[in-house]
Amino acid sequence: MDQPNIVRGALVDTDDHRGGWTPTLDARLSALESPVGEALGPVLESVADEPDRITIVPDAHYPFHPSTGMVTDPAVVGAVLDHLSWRTDADLAVAGVSTECMPFERTAEYLGYPDLCERTGADLVDLASDGDDGDTTRQVFPVDDRSVAVSVPERLREDTVLVLPSLRPTDEGAVAGGMRTLGRFADAVAEPAPTAVAATRAIEPASCLLDATTAYGDEPYAANALFAGPTPVVDALGASLFGTGFDDRAVALAPDATESVTGVEPGSGSTPQIRVEPVGRAATESTDDFEAQLDTLRARLEGGALPPSDDTHPAVSIAYRLYAAVGGDAVPPQLELRGGG
Amino acid sequence: MLSSTIGRLTGSDDLALGVLGVGNIGMVHLKSARSMPGVEVRAVADVLPENRARAERAGVPQTYDDYTTLLERENLDAAVIALPPFLHADAVERAAAAGVDVFVEKPLARSTAEADRMLDTAREAGIAVGVDHTLRYQPDMIGVKSEFEDGTVGHVPYASITRLNDGPLGRPPVENAPPSWPLDPDAAGGGSLLELGIHCFDVLEWLFGELEVQDASTDSTLDIPVEDAATVLLRAPETETSITLHCGSYQWEQLPEVNTRLRLEGITGTISNQDHLPQNFYAGAAKSALTNVLRRFTGDEPDVFGPTFYLQAHYEALSAFCEAIREGERPPIDGEDGRRSLELAETAAELAAETNTAELEPVEVTR
Repeated sequence: MDQPNIVRGALVDTDDHRGGWTPTLDARLSALESPVGEALGPVLESVADEPDRITIVPDAHYPFHPSTGMVTDPAVVGAVLDHLSWRTDADLAVAGVSTECMPFERTAEYLGYPDLCERTGADLVDLASDGDDGDTTRQVFPVDDRSVAVSVPERLREDTVLVLPSLRPTDEGAVAGGMRTLGRFADAVAEPAPTAVAATRAIEPASCLLDATTAYGDEPYAANALFAGPTPVVDALGASLFGTGFDDRAVALAPDATESVTGVEPGSGSTPQIRVEPVGRAATESTDDFEAQLDTLRARLEGGALPPSDDTHPAVSIAYRLYAAVGGDAVPPQLELRGGG
Repeated sequence: MLSSTIGRLTGSDDLALGVLGVGNIGMVHLKSARSMPGVEVRAVADVLPENRARAERAGVPQTYDDYTTLLERENLDAAVIALPPFLHADAVERAAAAGVDVFVEKPLARSTAEADRMLDTAREAGIAVGVDHTLRYQPDMIGVKSEFEDGTVGHVPYASITRLNDGPLGRPPVENAPPSWPLDPDAAGGGSLLELGIHCFDVLEWLFGELEVQDASTDSTLDIPVEDAATVLLRAPETETSITLHCGSYQWEQLPEVNTRLRLEGITGTISNQDHLPQNFYAGAAKSALTNVLRRFTGDEPDVFGPTFYLQAHYEALSAFCEAIREGERPPIDGEDGRRSLELAETAAELAAETNTAELEPVEVTR
């Protein structure tokens, strides 16, 4: 099992690669086989003993191209499925959830999950609350001195869950992380951050594997790294790479964000210090090299954010409408105020 | 109508127009038409209530949830068909039955066979068909053509055109569900070749004359059922120019930046569309806005969508169609032009399919 305050870091061998992205799925699977095994390490052995079902939860919120870092690379999911299928007879599944913006079935199809699952006989399941697998259980957890009630799919509570987030910011500028990836499955009236924390406590994932093969800051960056450990601790590492640290509410609210785990007290204004243990190729290289790669990753991601919305700034819309009124021009549909005339 | 019955059905001084479909591009056509002298938008039709509400807010007097009812009830001279491609043929057929000329959003049809049936129907009914190929109306393309016609770089042995955007899936942050029809080959007829390449084929024949498709390849960057990238090798016999065309729906687009590149490599230099665009979009937009305000005070007509050249091109395309209808002339980009671009895209898709199949066949190893 994961050690409570250590994240294992593995590097993907890119010596045979040209450019920052390998388009062939099989080539990526092959390159990821060792580092995925190294990063998950003891977790693979312990979850393989689980008799029933193991469900993998990737960041598959929308069919963005995996080379952008905006979703978990399906090849990382495939490599995890491969490792599990070698070690266990348990049923395997990959889970996602439909949203108003996108049915999970379309996202999964466009990202190539049906073929990927077929290789290992894994099920592909949509855990939207109105779906066939959508039975939920309501639980209450204390978060930030408040009681937060969340309903999460029973299936995720019952199964052994591995969460595989991508390393990217959210629309709101927080780290997407494992807790928020699980939070998408939760129904709650609380704000997103405490909901994500409570959902993670309800689901109790066995481990979190952060896909940093391609990370997204202000642009994609081929970091070719994987980090595994307890979900809140991996999220704390992600937040520290983006420079948000405990300003990321989910990280600050997570019960594991204690001084003994993160090295500093939440609210102290300091950045959580997460110990990253290099494994596999990362360990055989000099420690300085691995630290240098982490520093580079931090430099590339710090302050990173998603592109601006297509919505024009209200001031520009108002200025254009004023111009149109005076100049007798039409207002482009893109500049119309929502719901307004 | 092409015949001398151009007094049109309505007998009004203004051209009576209906807009079938007021999604994104339909709203641009609606707003263009509402700003057009001598054109009266009588009604619009759209299946989505929010689109109808938006049209009503734009001042449309009558809206319908079904374009067939609109065509039956309204007395129109012409209709803009801004529906998904799988509805173009039916809409043209119904407009033909009503004797209404049509301005069809590209692609004209999903295939040349479907286009032939549409054009036969239009011919038999005596209605005119125009197609919305807008690149020809963009100032940068007009600038390139002007330089080319003036012979400013001498002979042009090679040209290249690239058109990229983010297609139906868009980029983050995501706020709305993407439409499903653009990714359905039955509904759309194809992917990038019909969505973006078709504009490029049209503008290239406008520049270089008749083209021959020599080779093509297509690709999908995701597991989607249509191509989202296509590269085509063309030859223009008249000007002896070899041309590469690349179109793709895979690249995140950040308006107002639009990734359309056209380069003509001549003996003495290069003609580039980038040299005919404002170096700073916002400065150019501000200048256009100022010009329009001044025109308002001097009594001149403003440039509609003046600050945004790509929307202005849509206005110019529809305006040219309406002017032709009013004058009883053939639309400047008519159904045959739309069919021709479709034919080139279709040929490219066929060649790409052959190439892709050949790539999949195992190589026979002989001693």
